[in-house]
Amino acid sequence: MATTTPRNKTFKSPTKTPTANNIYRKSYQSPSLTPQTPQTITPLRRSARHVSRRIDLGNDPIDVLEIESKEEMNLIRKRERAPPRKQSVDDVSEKSKKPQSLKTPTKKTKLDSEVSFSPVSPNRTEKRKNKSEEVKKTKTKTKTKKRVYYNRVEFDETEFEIGDDVYVKRREDANSDEEDPEIEDCKICFKSGGSDVMLECDDCLGGFHLKCLKPPLKDVPEGDWICQFCEVNKSGGGQSQTLVVPKPPEGKKLARTMREKLLSSDLWAARIEKLWKEVGDGVYWIRVRWYMIPEETVSGRQPHNLKRELYLTNDFADIEMDCVLRHCFVKCPKEFSKASNDGDDVFLCEYEYDVHWHSFKRLAELVDGDSDSDQEWNGRKEEEEIDDSDEEVEVEEDEESVVRGDSKGKRGLTSVKGGANSRKGRFFGLEKVGAKQIPEHVRCHKQTELEKAKATLLLATRPKSLPCRNREMEEITAFIKGSISDDQCLGRCMYIHGVPGTGKTISVLSVMKNLKAEVEAGNVNPYCFVEINGLKLASPENIYSVIYEALSGHRVGWKKALHSLNERFAEGKKIGKEDDKPCILLIDELDLLVTRNQSVLYNILDWPTKPNSKLIVLGIANTMDLPEKLLPRISSRMGIQRLCFGPYNHTQLQEIISTRLNGIDAFEKTAIEFASRKVAAISGDARRALEICRRAAEVADHRLKTNKTAKSQLVIMGDVEAAIQEMFQAPHIQVMKSVSKLSKIFLTAMVHELYKTGMAETTFDRVATTVSSICLTNGEAFPGWDILLKIGCDLGECRIILCEPGEKHRLQKLQLNFPSDDVAFALKENKDLPWLANYL
Amino acid sequence: MGKEIIPAAEKSLNLIRGRLCDPSYVFRPLSASSDSNYSKLKFIVSTSITEGCNNSILLLGPRGSGKAAVLDLVAGDLLEEFPDSVSLIRLNGLLHSDDNCAFKEIARQLCMEHHLLFSKMASLDENSQFIVAMLRECGLAHKTIIFVLDEFDMFAQGKQRLLYSLLDAMQSVTSQAVVIGISSRLDADQLLEKRVRSRFSHRKILFLPPSREEFDGLLEHLLSLPADSSFPNGYVSRFNEKIKNITSDTRFKDILRTLFNANSTVNSLLKFIFRAVSLMNLESGLLSLENFKAALSSMQRQPKLEAVRDCSILELYLLVCMRRLEVKEQSAYNIISVMKEYKTIHDSFQTSDYYAQNVCLRAFEHLRERQVICYTENRGQSQTGEYRPMKLLISASELHQGMRSHACCPAILLKLLDH
Repeated sequence: MATTTPRNKTFKSPTKTPTANNIYRKSYQSPSLTPQTPQTITPLRRSARHVSRRIDLGNDPIDVLEIESKEEMNLIRKRERAPPRKQSVDDVSEKSKKPQSLKTPTKKTKLDSEVSFSPVSPNRTEKRKNKSEEVKKTKTKTKTKKRVYYNRVEFDETEFEIGDDVYVKRREDANSDEEDPEIEDCKICFKSGGSDVMLECDDCLGGFHLKCLKPPLKDVPEGDWICQFCEVNKSGGGQSQTLVVPKPPEGKKLARTMREKLLSSDLWAARIEKLWKEVGDGVYWIRVRWYMIPEETVSGRQPHNLKRELYLTNDFADIEMDCVLRHCFVKCPKEFSKASNDGDDVFLCEYEYDVHWHSFKRLAELVDGDSDSDQEWNGRKEEEEIDDSDEEVEVEEDEESVVRGDSKGKRGLTSVKGGANSRKGRFFGLEKVGAKQIPEHVRCHKQTELEKAKATLLLATRPKSLPCRNREMEEITAFIKGSISDDQCLGRCMYIHGVPGTGKTISVLSVMKNLKAEVEAGNVNPYCFVEINGLKLASPENIYSVIYEALSGHRVGWKKALHSLNERFAEGKKIGKEDDKPCILLIDELDLLVTRNQSVLYNILDWPTKPNSKLIVLGIANTMDLPEKLLPRISSRMGIQRLCFGPYNHTQLQEIISTRLNGIDAFEKTAIEFASRKVAAISGDARRALEICRRAAEVADHRLKTNKTAKSQLVIMGDVEAAIQEMFQAPHIQVMKSVSKLSKIFLTAMVHELYKTGMAETTFDRVATTVSSICLTNGEAFPGWDILLKIGCDLGECRIILCEPGEKHRLQKLQLNFPSDDVAFALKENKDLPWLANYL
Repeated sequence: MGKEIIPAAEKSLNLIRGRLCDPSYVFRPLSASSDSNYSKLKFIVSTSITEGCNNSILLLGPRGSGKAAVLDLVAGDLLEEFPDSVSLIRLNGLLHSDDNCAFKEIARQLCMEHHLLFSKMASLDENSQFIVAMLRECGLAHKTIIFVLDEFDMFAQGKQRLLYSLLDAMQSVTSQAVVIGISSRLDADQLLEKRVRSRFSHRKILFLPPSREEFDGLLEHLLSLPADSSFPNGYVSRFNEKIKNITSDTRFKDILRTLFNANSTVNSLLKFIFRAVSLMNLESGLLSLENFKAALSSMQRQPKLEAVRDCSILELYLLVCMRRLEVKEQSAYNIISVMKEYKTIHDSFQTSDYYAQNVCLRAFEHLRERQVICYTENRGQSQTGEYRPMKLLISASELHQGMRSHACCPAILLKLLDH
């Protein structure tokens, strides 16, 4: 900090603001839009954990002095008097804690003096522009030593890997408990383990020997078990005094396990994100992401929180390897329920906690099961990480983004970033979206069979297996493997067609997933995979920029992208750092790319025919004859590789539904069969079949909730019937039955006219004459032409009839939109107007 | 000037008008039963909130049957029940049928809802990616986004990119979203492209006009004054007594029947009552049967008939001439041929009403402006003025009826019309 003079600290007005943003900011500075600043008046408890942050911080000489002079102060007190979160002060104070919390104070302070500080906020835009330059500068100044990154490190005879969860020492009470027992003591006999099985109380998490219990248990009981002490406490009241919790024998110090310490916040848990060694001094460092116990969150422990629950935070810190105690195991709910006897260090984590916004979010991987949609989201980033040999740059970027997140709260509206919806800001501010509290109904609720069935029938839930599409998947796999495993990969095309809901896209995606696993196993050459949906492109030409972005990571206009892609595929020039991997291009809804001169399709299908392209195109569309509709030069390039996904038949649909419902007892077998037969007869669309079953489950749920006395809790035929009715039957018959009297007469007159003339189309003039004569003979009052016209137009708006606009009056052309038999069926048995039947 | 206005009358007038214009007041009693559309819709939406699943629903029914009103009721209740986890995005097909504009509007409303900065400059691509990202984030935070697409049929035109993106995002990302389409077209779901239709969950709720009993209950609910209010005591009981008298009157029932014969939706009833209440005599402060009668006649006007009734003699002549030409099966005629017919009538009957050509042209123009006659469409537009073919827009019987009720229609015209 001695090297650079502190720059002027204008926190309010960024010096460099693009004019476009400026205009935009002015026009949108309405009070309702003001983003809430996170409440960080009370200093974050965890802020003490930011042990070192070698990032460019805004510095204030006075602050640093002040803090350095009080370096020996109690940590906790310091936290209490930390000023309302101001980035520079806060981080500097954190930095000053580092000598305390780590064992190498001298070196660190020296390092401190070397760090070049630059204020965060004022010149952030500038920094963004020449980031690489900046990074280099900081590198040379701050880290004269190089870092070596590892994926796995052996330390103190334990192996640590990226992604592992560990206990981390908390400095203040490092000497409170010297010994850290691996196995906890029994709560009754106060002897640890031995060969006896210990049982854990689900409430107080205390361990008990099976034989120490009263009465002693032989086996571990199924389901939840609560110890006698907790049971008494729960039932409360009178008998609470009868059971005395046994006191430990005199002299024996009650040893606490790490789990207890963690849950009483004397220890920390964290996930390792990065491992590295400083080359100079050989000290191992890790970058960790903290876990938090529910008590530490703003909302505190909620009734639905489990005892062993932790939250993953978005709070990072670099710590020395020395602070790591040992492994613990933080699992998602699914694994957690399986890991019931994996020891004491197992924890559950389902939610992520944002320390700045104090909001909760589910962890994405958990929801997706095996994170296959994650790939779609992080795919690009992963690739970057793999490609990037210079990891250092990554670190800086990360840290910068952290800072950005921090400072954004303060800066609020004056942020120079674009809006949240523009990509420049990388959907900036999405971290704000989060539940302030986890809604209780999500956690406490025990799902009934019907609800489980509904959840598993959702279109969004990815099935574990894809039945009935083995042949097609094999064919796709063979095609892709055949294309990429050749030594010199030739470009090829495949056209996949089939009606909607026959599993085209999901089959291809699952093939790609399997292939990815094989790539990781080393059986298949690496490739890059680009997925594009034709209907999600703003215009067909945009596909070039999307492909280019996927390949190179840069966004350019489509013309430039086309140029570069042409070079890449036709001439074999490389784009950027990308190596010579084959490229698989999946284009969903291919028919949307057909332009007037079909140049987009031509280009895309022309590339694979070039010798050096290494491009494989998989096109998916609904129509079978798309190639035939195209120009001959395109259909010839599309080749003859076609794959048809036929509509499912009823046994296949039945299998699909029953594999999804496997293990859930909610449907009658006949009900499933009925639904699948019905769908197979109409469309063979699996989505439709699933939706019908889900709707049937909803109907059943509604029926059972309103009528408590129902015996069967299953979905019966009647429910499926109702769902099918709702889905397939057009509602016009019901509407026709309930329309006003004159509308009915009007419709009858139209049918009558149709029978009389045999012409589908008629004019209002004729219909009105018929209506008046019908009314006359049956003693109804004729309302007048203008009212009749209005009635006709109303019917036209419901599309029961088709009609021209009403201004044409007498000349208005009318036509029934439904078969006349439907009208006759709807109106024949009418109580008010029995005579209508005479005309139908 | 004689009697003075009762202050309570004005207050009651305002109260009832306020009720009529508040859809939630009107539809609350209709939604009480467990079989009503309200409870069906609420069940679907609230289960998708609590169970975290996606749904798409269509609300169908004729105009004025209370689709949007019931949806508003449900949305209001759900926002109260789950204040943190529901956000409502509203689009209207008439305003946002353009993809670009619809995406922008969704992004804007999402930004507003979550206090994010919104950029007007963002492209369609960016906006759609933003929406997908938001859907995912909200899904992870247990927040449900409800998309209300009013005039759903307008979205179901063209490439249907909006619907496809929404529905596709709902089936592939861990999102919690409900798409509710409102349409008066019964075949709205048939308009969807097949790949969109396949992704649509096809929940349909049909809105039908209420039964007669429900209407009676609704009438009382709307018209009777509350007993425990600031109105003078006697006034309330007098007012309610009068309402009861009127509604039990058979003449009133006839009026209602005529009204419902033409249009039996809730909306038409509301309009009818609004008119009747607005005609209330403020001096007595009570409604009367005459108010309802006047309201009915003001609802069922016959503009064409009135137009004929207000025609001048010359205009009637011209109309009759055109009619005669039609009877002679001369399907196409223009001003020249009508003038010729007019001249023959004049020549054979020696009427006193013979006007010069330019006067007649003015009369033609007048008739055309009132849409009693019109030019038939001719593509070429080559012919101008008097050579363009014309058409009569009113039927013979209307013309007949109108001339009969005309104040000074010459007798000879009626005769000419018949032969």
